[in-house]
Amino acid sequence: MTTLAPRKRSARSGGPSVGRPGAVWAVPATIFFALFALVPLIFVGVLSFTSWSGLADPVFVGFDNWVKLIADPILTKSFGLTGLFVILGLITQTPLSILLGVWAAGHQKNRAVLSAIYFVPLLLSSAAISILWRALLDPNFGIPGQLPWLFGDGNLFGKQASAIAVLTFVSMWQFTPFHTLIYQGAARAIPPVLYQAAQIDGAGTVRQFFSVTLPQLRNSIITSGILMVVGGLTTFDTVLILTNGGPGTDTTITAFYMYQKAFRAFDFGQASAIAVVLVVIATAISLLVVRLSGYDKMQSAQEGI
Amino acid sequence: MNTHSRWLTRSLAGAAVIAVGLAMAGCSTGSSGASSRPENVIHVAVYGDATNKVEEQIVATFNKTSDVKVILDKIPGADYQQKLQTIISTKAAPDVFFNWGGGSIQDFVKAGLLLPLDDFIAEDPGLKDNFLPAVFNTAVIDGKPYGVPMRGTQPVMLFNNKTVLAANNITPPTTWEELLADVKILKAKGITPIALGGADQWTTLMWYEYIYDRVAGPGLFEKAISGDKSVWDSAASKKALGYIKDLIDAGAFGTNFDSVKFTDGGSPTLLRTGRAAFELMGSWNYSTQQSADPDFAAKDLGYTAFPAISGGEGDAGNVVGNPNNFYSVIKATRYPDTARDFLKLMYSDEFVKASMAIGNLPTTTNTEQFLDTAADPAYATFQFDLVKAAPSFQLSWDQAYPPAAGTPLKTAVQQFFNGQLDEAGFIQAMQAL
Amino acid sequence: MKPRRNVWAGFGSTAWLIVVALPLYVMISATIQTQQGYSSHGPLSFPTTFTLDNYVGAFTSGFGLYFINTLIVTLSVVAIVVVLVPPLCYSIVRSRSRFATGVFRLFLLGLAVPSTAVIVPIFYLISVAGLYDNLLGVILPTAAFALPVCTLIMSGTMRDITPELYEAMAVDGATPVRTFFQLVMPLSKGGLSTIIVFSALQAWNGFLFPLILTQSESTRVITLGLFNFQTQYGVNVPGLLAAVVLSMLPVLLVYLFARRALVQGLMGMGGK
Repeated sequence: MTTLAPRKRSARSGGPSVGRPGAVWAVPATIFFALFALVPLIFVGVLSFTSWSGLADPVFVGFDNWVKLIADPILTKSFGLTGLFVILGLITQTPLSILLGVWAAGHQKNRAVLSAIYFVPLLLSSAAISILWRALLDPNFGIPGQLPWLFGDGNLFGKQASAIAVLTFVSMWQFTPFHTLIYQGAARAIPPVLYQAAQIDGAGTVRQFFSVTLPQLRNSIITSGILMVVGGLTTFDTVLILTNGGPGTDTTITAFYMYQKAFRAFDFGQASAIAVVLVVIATAISLLVVRLSGYDKMQSAQEGI
Repeated sequence: MNTHSRWLTRSLAGAAVIAVGLAMAGCSTGSSGASSRPENVIHVAVYGDATNKVEEQIVATFNKTSDVKVILDKIPGADYQQKLQTIISTKAAPDVFFNWGGGSIQDFVKAGLLLPLDDFIAEDPGLKDNFLPAVFNTAVIDGKPYGVPMRGTQPVMLFNNKTVLAANNITPPTTWEELLADVKILKAKGITPIALGGADQWTTLMWYEYIYDRVAGPGLFEKAISGDKSVWDSAASKKALGYIKDLIDAGAFGTNFDSVKFTDGGSPTLLRTGRAAFELMGSWNYSTQQSADPDFAAKDLGYTAFPAISGGEGDAGNVVGNPNNFYSVIKATRYPDTARDFLKLMYSDEFVKASMAIGNLPTTTNTEQFLDTAADPAYATFQFDLVKAAPSFQLSWDQAYPPAAGTPLKTAVQQFFNGQLDEAGFIQAMQAL
Repeated sequence: MKPRRNVWAGFGSTAWLIVVALPLYVMISATIQTQQGYSSHGPLSFPTTFTLDNYVGAFTSGFGLYFINTLIVTLSVVAIVVVLVPPLCYSIVRSRSRFATGVFRLFLLGLAVPSTAVIVPIFYLISVAGLYDNLLGVILPTAAFALPVCTLIMSGTMRDITPELYEAMAVDGATPVRTFFQLVMPLSKGGLSTIIVFSALQAWNGFLFPLILTQSESTRVITLGLFNFQTQYGVNVPGLLAAVVLSMLPVLLVYLFARRALVQGLMGMGGK
C-alpha cells in the first residue's frame, strides 16, 4: 500500500522514514469528501450564475443573481441577524459552558450525578428540541400561559426581540451540554502541579481560575468557538420549526433565507448566490481563527511547560 | 497488543461489511428513479393526510379491473409542493398528481410538463360536465383544462363556540357591524373574540381574502393575479385595508396571535375550550375539532358564512378557500388511457360516498343526492349550499400565485396585521409580487 | 476550597439543573395526560389524568418504520466514518508527503462549509445519481459532512502516540499496515469511540438531508416523522411530545448503558 516513496525532508519528530504510510492512505476519504462537499461547493458557485427552477435545465444569466442579491433588503437584514445570532450564541454559551465544565471536572459524586442530567438535551435532535419548545412556549397552553407575571401576554414569537431571545435560549439549552463536555475534558487534563504552584504563590480560587484554568483552556475555547460560529451560521431547523423566520422577516437568518429561496420559491440560482456568500463568510471566519491561533499546527498548550 | 489488533481488524472488517450491506438494503427500500418510466404501472401522488383512506379505496377498486396498476404515493403534507417541484421534471415524476389548481400548476404548464385534458374530455364529456363549473375552472389555465377535481371542497367559514355565544347573549354576526359589536361584548368579558393562529400566516391571509372580496369584489384580486398591479393602490384596496385595521384595533384577535398556530392545535383549542368565541377557518376545522373532542364538534361547534359588508362591491354569497383539489396528468406518462380511466372514478358514486363518510364534500353534480349519507348531514348540506350558491369561489391567494410569491405574500400579510408595515408598505409589497 | 465559592457553585448548578430538567419534566408529564387534561391544567401542574394512549398513537402512526430507517442511516454513517477516517488520519499524522498536509488543511476548511449552503447541488447530484428518496442518498452526504470533525478528533488522538513507539515498530521492520493495526489503532481507541459517538449522533438527529432528499413514507426517518407529525391536521400536543420522547428513547438507552464511553468520547472533542 505504500508505493509512494517518502520524501526526504527533515521530519519534525525525526526517526527513520521506514514504515511511514504514504498519501494513498488519505485518498479514499479525500475522494469521498471531495465528491460530496467540494464538488457541490464548486457547483453552487456555477449555479449562482444561472436561473434554475428545477423544472428545466439551468440557464446562464451572468451576474443577474448577484445584482439582485446586493439589492435585496431582506438578505442584508439577514446578515445582521445572523451576526447577532452568532454573537449572542457565543456570549451566552461560552461563559456558561466554561463554568459548568470546570465545575463538573471535579470528581465529587453529586457533580457526576448532575452532569449526567445536564447531558440529556444533547440526546435530542434539533427537530425534537424545537418542537418541544414550541409546545412549552405556547402563549395559552404552555408555560407563559401559566406564568403571566413573567411572560405577560406570552407573545414571544410575535416580537423580534423576544423571538431572537427564544432562539438564543433554545440554542443555549441545546448546545451548552456539548460545550460543557469539551471544557470538562480539557479542565481535567490540566496538570494539578499548575494549581499547586499557584497556591504556593498565594492565588485564591478566583485568581487560579483566571491565571491557570482559562489560559489552559485556550485551545478548547477555539475549538468550541469555531463549532459555535459554524453552527450558528447554519442554524436552520430551529428557525424553521420555532419561528419560521418571523414575525415578518425578523428572524430570517441567512441560512434560512437561502432555504426559502431554494425550496419555497424554487429560485435555485438566487439561493446558490446566497449560499456562496455563506460559504465565503464561514471559511473566512474559520481561516481567521485558525491563523490567529496557530491552530493548524495543532500544538497542545501542555507542550509549553 | 495482539488481542487488541485482532479485535480491531475484525471490527473494521465488520464495519465495512455492514456499510456495504446497509447501503444495498438502503437501495432496495427506496424507489429508484434511474430507469425510464416504469412499465405496467402508473404512479399517483397525493398529499398525505386523513383523506388517503378514500384514495386507497378508489385505487383498490380501479386495480381490480385494470391491467395497468395504479400505485398511490402519499407525500407528507408540509412540503408537498416542494417535493413535487423537485421531481416533476425528472424520471421519478408521478403520472398523476394532487394539486390546488391555479398557481400551484401554472409553472408546470408553462414548462410544458402537463397534459391538457381536452382529449380526455372529448372522449368522455363527463370528465367536465359532472363537476360544478366554478370548481372545475380553478384548474383551467390559458383556456385549457389541466385538472379534474379529486377531493372535497374546502370553503372558509366563520366557526363559533355555541356555548360561549349563548352565555354572552350574542348570535353569529351576519353583518360587519354585528361582528364589531360582538367583538366589543366579548372583549369586555375577557374572552378573546376571535382565535387566530397567526404564526401560520395563511390563517391571517383568510381575513384579507374575505374582506377584500366583500369590500372590493372578487374582480380586484382577479386583476391583480393577471398582472394589473395598480389595483392594490386603488381606493377599494385601501378601504379594505381600513376594515382590517379597524378589526385589529378593536382587539378582535387579542395581542398574542402571532405566537399561536393552528397547525399545532393552538387556535382550535382556544375555540374548543371557550377561551375564544370565533375562528375563521377552512372546512377541515370540523374534523380537526372532531379528532380532539367529538362531542364538541357535534354539539357546540357552530358555523356561518362570512358577514356581509354594506356598501362593498362583493356579493355576501361569495366564498373563498380551496374550491377543491385536482388531479393533473403529466405529458410524459406512458399510459394516458389508464390515467383517463382512473380520473373517471372521481365522479363515481363510490368515490362520493366514501368521501362523504369521512367528512369531505366532493363537488360533483351527483353529490347532492348523497348529502344525507354524510358523517354530519347538516354540516355537509350547509357547505354544499354555500358553494353551489356562491357567485364567486376565490382560490386562496397563496395558492393562486405561483410558489415564488408565496413567502413574500404571507410575510406582508403578517406584517400589516401586526403593524410592522403601514398601508403604503403593504401595497408596495403586494405590487412587488 | 473556600466554602463561599461552593455556595455560589451550588446555587448556579442548581439553577441550571432547573433550566435543563423542567422542560423534560413538562414533556414527560404531558405525554401521560389526555389532551383535555393537558390543555386545562397547564404544563407545570401535576398530572391529574393518566393515559398511555399518546405513546400508542405515536407508535401506530408509523414510528416503528422510522426507527428502522434511522437505524440503517446511523449504522451506515458510522461504518463509513470508521472505515475512512483512521487511515486518513494515520496518513495525515505520519506521512511525509505534502499531499497529506494539504489534505489536513482541506478538512480543516471543510469544518467551515455549512451543509445548508451546498444542499442545492447535493440535491441535484443525488437526483442525477438516481438516489433521490433513497436512504443511501441520505447516508452518503451525512457521512461526508461528519468527516471534518472526525478527522480533527482522530488526528489529535494519533498525534499523542510518541515517536519512540513508531521507531520501535520501524526497527522491527513493520510495514505501515502492520504499524496501523498493531500500534496506531489500539492506541487510538479513545478517538475511535469519540468519532463513533459523534457521527452516530449526527446521523440519528440529522434533519436537513432527509428533509430535502427523501419524500415517501418508506424512507422517512424519525426527525422528519416528528416534523410531519407536527404539521398534520388535528395534532394534539401530548401526542406530539410522546413522539419526541420515543425519538430519544434509543439514544437514552445507549446513554444509560454506555454513559462512560459516550461522555469520554465527546469530552475528547475539545482535544488538546
